[in-house]
Order: sequence, then structure tokens, then C-alpha cells
Amino acid sequence: MRLLLGLAMTTSLLAQGVNTGMLLQRPTKNWPTFNGDYTGQRFSPLKQINTTNVGSLTLAWSFQTHQAAMKATPLVVDGIAYFSVPDHVWAADARTGRQIWHFSRTSSGDHLASRGVTMFKDRIYFGTPDAHLIALDARNGTKVWEVEVADWKFGYYISAAPLVVKDKLLVGMSGDQLNMPGFLDARDLNDGKLVWRWDAIPKPGEPGSETWPNAEIMARGGGMTWVQGVYDPALNLTYWGTGNPHPVYAGNVRRGANLFTCTLVALDVDTGKMKWYIQTSPHDTHDRDANQTPILIDGDYQGRPRKLLAMASRSGYYFLLDRATGESLVTVPYGGQKWSAGVDERGQPIPKPEAEPTVDGAFFEGTTTNWWTPSFSPDTGLFYVNGSHGFSIAYLMPNEETGKVEDHQGGGATSLWSETMLLALDYRTGKVRWSRRASGATGGNGILSTAGGLVFTNESGHLVALNAASGKVLWHVNPGGNLTGSAMSYELDGRQFVLTPVDGVLYAWALPE
Amino acid sequence: MRTAMFAFVLASLVGALGGQAQDGRGNLLRFCPGLGIPCVEITQEAYDRGHEQFRQSCGFCHGPTAAGGNGGPNLIYSAVIRRDNQGADITKLIQEGRPDKGMPVIPLTATQIADIVGYLKARVAEVDKTSGLRPSRDYDLKKLLTGNAELGRAYFNGAGQCATCHSPTGDLKGIATKYPPIELQARLMYPSGVRQDATVTDASGKQFTGELLQQDAFDVAIRTADGVQRSWPSRSVKVVTSDPLARHLELLSKHTNADMHNLFAYLETLR
Repeated sequence: MRLLLGLAMTTSLLAQGVNTGMLLQRPTKNWPTFNGDYTGQRFSPLKQINTTNVGSLTLAWSFQTHQAAMKATPLVVDGIAYFSVPDHVWAADARTGRQIWHFSRTSSGDHLASRGVTMFKDRIYFGTPDAHLIALDARNGTKVWEVEVADWKFGYYISAAPLVVKDKLLVGMSGDQLNMPGFLDARDLNDGKLVWRWDAIPKPGEPGSETWPNAEIMARGGGMTWVQGVYDPALNLTYWGTGNPHPVYAGNVRRGANLFTCTLVALDVDTGKMKWYIQTSPHDTHDRDANQTPILIDGDYQGRPRKLLAMASRSGYYFLLDRATGESLVTVPYGGQKWSAGVDERGQPIPKPEAEPTVDGAFFEGTTTNWWTPSFSPDTGLFYVNGSHGFSIAYLMPNEETGKVEDHQGGGATSLWSETMLLALDYRTGKVRWSRRASGATGGNGILSTAGGLVFTNESGHLVALNAASGKVLWHVNPGGNLTGSAMSYELDGRQFVLTPVDGVLYAWALPE
Repeated sequence: MRTAMFAFVLASLVGALGGQAQDGRGNLLRFCPGLGIPCVEITQEAYDRGHEQFRQSCGFCHGPTAAGGNGGPNLIYSAVIRRDNQGADITKLIQEGRPDKGMPVIPLTATQIADIVGYLKARVAEVDKTSGLRPSRDYDLKKLLTGNAELGRAYFNGAGQCATCHSPTGDLKGIATKYPPIELQARLMYPSGVRQDATVTDASGKQFTGELLQQDAFDVAIRTADGVQRSWPSRSVKVVTSDPLARHLELLSKHTNADMHNLFAYLETLR
């Protein structure tokens, strides 16, 4: 009887699901979307767990998926957590971790990652390794519809959680095994049908096509949209980063800036038309894509309030822009580098020819980050990002028989030395306020900042809670693996939880009851 | 399931080759484009046989490696080849040609076609790559030898500061014969696998010295001379490290690309 009553209550709660209003507020009780809200800040206003008590944080529950690393950020809506790995989606009680349902579907294609699911009303949406888009009934995990977005046999797959904007799902595309063009789809929430498609690569004669040597190489030029973008409802613009050009290391076959790869773009959400762009790694030859989360900040810049966009890009440059116009305000490296000869008049780094991979090897120094989520705390004014700095030798490796670049990579790099670190940047200047060096790889650890004065992330294989202002460690634990996704926070029955995906296990942390 | 998927691909490939991939001779090539993407396995013999047949029968138009030639498209991107099921579509294409696109019928035996099918499927998996290539240990010295040995020697003895620790007649004598060229190029910048030592003093004052395995804000670990690995919470011990590569690291940010190539050319003379 209690079970039945529980089910009935759950159903009635679920009927609410996610609505637009929820996505426009900072996340408190719920964490209703990949980044918590539309800004990409990953800042939780919750402060029950704070600098004075985080030392007593304890395990509330855990969920074992028995699957590969969870690179998602879990959602929590109305007391239920939703999370995914490739081919699997789960719903679990966010109080206890008890499984409510499990959806699984065997698929072909690249199983590198599922970076989460998306909820709107009572539907769960996600992309698959074979580049399909699926809608589930959030109450029971049964499939409502499924559409093919691209052909997986050409290396396409979907790892990013779709972004809900108005009546559309913005579906980013992944693919990095074959030289193919990237795009971003807007699809109808109700049936997955295509509303508009923004192509990352121009057609011959279109703006940007002059940055490619010929139509043939341009047609396969890359620019995948594999990390979820952000949205400004007042400006009606959505902001997405694009992936590297193809072939990856072979700049010699694609002379020019290779627009719109490694580019941050602002698109009109109704039409998909580009309003402005900035290329974060022009003519990229080191896989320095722009697939990092841009963060929207309404804050002061040089004494007056501005609608800003901040991005710590994989190129090792921090960008601060006016997000209405794309005007470049700051472009500075956030770590050591020798591949760039400065910044052009648009605020874009200028690559040095000698850093481009060559058959005899090109010495390369750079600082970088990747898809793992940064965070911004309006309380500290700091932009937090996990990155690395290192040296390598990069090689151009054409086919031995034909002397032509034929494979998707076109070369590779030998790493000489690298170090990983967490950086706290002043959002106005991009200057490093404090940093923490770590051992081991950075792989995947996203960042959450909270009004409790805390930053949650991974360092040297430990989950850590740091003082957001100083970087001092206030709590840490070795959870038996690295944080592979991103931490998030929610409140249920008056108790604040922090969820952390660690390999195949989801851990929920809270203060002792 | 993944294992099953691989088995399926292997089975379909074997089917396409009429069983010849399983002839038991030679090395098995395995092309795995990325995580969860079906790998393609083929013997070196079957690959070479298919490659040669392709070169002879298709190479003029499609290029010797199927990456495009005189007028024929690059088959790496061909939808027919990527969507082909067990060789049937490719076989039909070869047997019937594509008159509308100027492709003639290619008169080949079923075995020859099967060889080409095997090669093309392997070729697609070989070319699709989700991560960068690694230069092989036998990477040709000629490809790397673009620097000026004289300038390298001058840099070694001067601005490069190499001579403050190394000697061409001492520790570096014959260095070019000790490492494959590709390794020597990387090692002269920053040698990999060089051990760093540490002495750890625990709370009771007891000291342990050995190879440093890990050191960060939370943990420190060493391997002592007896081969035993020991670890401590970092906060509970004092750690003194010595990094024999500290100078290499310092100099890494000072070397230029030209310095690297010149130094390499110089070290290659030390035989």
C-alpha cells in the first residue's frame, strides 16, 4: 500500500517536470539541465554545505551502474535523478539512490561518451552512439520516439545532452574519426523533426569559404558541436563552440583559418543564423577545439555593467566578450605557450607557422583544457577551470605510399612533459588569482561552485571541496577513481546533496543527518 | 555485447573473403577506429593481396590506396563502401560498373573481388582514427635530419647549456647508436622514464628513501630499494625530492624548434 501511495505521489510530482521558468532561474531544489541553468555558470545558490561545515561531509548514497565511466552531469528534478552512459539511461530516487527505471539500447557507433540527458516537461531526451535522438517518458523510461540525426557509419555520434530552447532541442553533433563536416540541429521537441540546421562549414562562395584552399577539403572540414552550448533568452541567442578542423594535425592540406572550426558562434535560436563569431584557434593543428562551455556573466567590465561571455578555451586563451555584439574585450593566455604570436584585431590568437606539425617534428608548448565543465562564482568573481600545461613534439605523417594525408588524424604528437592544475581566473582580466597543481591526468573533472563559498572538483584522484576564494582544501576523499563527469547540487527535504559521477558510480554527499 | 559485435564483423569479413582471411599464415592486422566502433581484422597476406589487386584494377582512377586518383572519387568516404553489407554492394558495383558516372565494368573473378572487398573494408577502418598517430620506432632518420649539426654543436656547448652536464665523449658517446632516431629526438628535449628519488620522514622520524611514484596534496608514494611500495598521507610526512631532470625542464621552455632540430643533427653525429 505504501508502495502504491509512493508511486502515485511520484507520478503526480513527475507530471510537472521541467519548465522554461525553471531553466531561467539558478538551480536550487532541482538541477534541471546539464549546466544547472542557461548561463553555464554551474553555480549553486545552496549554502547548507559551506566553508564552516564541509569537513564533515559524508556519503548519503551511491549508485553502481556497472558500466563505463559516467561523463554526464546528472539531473535532479522533483526528487528524481536522471543520468546516463552510452546506451543506458537511469532514473533513481534522489533521496536514496534507489533505481526507479533503467533504459538500455544496444547501438553501433562511437561509445566515447554520453554527456548527459535533457528533461523538458515529462520527457527525457538524449543522443546515442549511432547518432539517433531519443525521447523517453520520464515516468517509466519507455521510448516515445526516436529519429536518426546523422549516419554513424561516417563517424557521427551524439555525446552532448541536447539543449532545450523554447519549443526546440538544440542537438550538438560529435564525430572525430573521419573527415566530415560538423553542424548543430534544432529539432522539434514533440517529434524530433528538423527545424533548422547550422552548418559549421560554409559552402563554396559563402562567408568563411575564403579561409579554405578548395571546396573538396572544405566539404569535410570538421567543426563538430560536441559540448552543450548556452542561451541568453533576452538576446534570443545561443552560444556554441565548434570542434577542430580535419584532418586534425595536417595543416598543410588546409591552408587558411578554416572557418568555422575552433570557433565560438552566436546563433539566433529561431533561425539558426549566425550573429557573430570568434575563432579561438585559427588554422588549428593541435586539436585545440572550442568545445568548452561558454559562461554568461552579467557583470562589471571597466566600471560599467555589461552582458559578458567568458570562455577558457582549449587553445589556452581566455576570452571575454560582449555577448550581444561579439566585441572582444579580453584575449589572454591562461598559461605558458609558444604556439601563438599574439592576438589579431578581432581578439583571435595568431598561430606561429613553426608550431605546425611537420614530418621532422615541431616542438610545441601549450596550456589547455577540454570539455570538462568550468564554473563561475558571482560571489568570488572567479572563473574556475581545470587545465594542463605541457611540451610535445608534433608530427605530420602522410601515407608512405602516396605521400598524401589520407587518414583523419594526419599525424600525432609525442608528449614530453605535462602538469595538470586547477586555475581560478579573474573574470574581468583572465589573470590567474590562484592555482593548484595536481598529480595524474585531468580527464573529465568538471567544476561546481556554490554560495556556500565552495568549489567542488577532482584533484589528484581525490574529490575535493575547496574554499572558493582561496583554493584551500576543506574536504577531500579518495573515491576509488577520478571524477569523470561533473559535480552538481540539489536540495531535497531540506537537505543539500552534492552528486559526483566517479567512473561507473554515482556518489551522493551530504552533511550528517 | 562488444565482443559479440567484433565477432560479427570478423565473421562478415571472413564471409566477404571467402574464408581466406583465416588461412593461418602471417600476422593478423587489427584496425580499431575508436571506442565501441567495430574493429576490422585481416591477415597481412589478405590485406596485401587485396591492396595489390586494388592497385592493378582500381588504382588508376581511385588512387593506389583508395584515397582518390585520376577522376575517381576517394573511396574512404564512399557511402556504398561504408554501408556495404558483407561485400554484396561492392561486388555488384565492380561487376556492373557505374556507366552514368563513367565507371566501367571491371572483369574480375569472385576471388579477386573478395580480395578487394577485404582490402577496402580494412582500409576504411585503418584510415578512420579517433586519436593521433604515434611515430613508430623505425621512423626514418632521413625524415628527422633537417637541422644543422654545426649549429647544434655550438648550441650544445653554448646557449643550450647542455655541456654543463653532458659530454659528447663521456655520457653521450655513441648516443646515436643507443636509441632509434625518433626516441633520441624526444629524449634530447626531455628524457622519459628517468627515475626521481625522494626521502620521506614519517611522524616518528623514521626515514625511507626510494623512487618517487606519486606526490601531491594528498598522497606521497615511493618504492624503496627492497622493491616495496609505500605510501603516506602527504600531511603526515616530510618529503625531500631530487629531480635529476630539473634542468631539462627549466630548459624546455627556452629551446626553440630550430634548436631541437640542430641539437638532434649534432647528436646523430655521435656514433
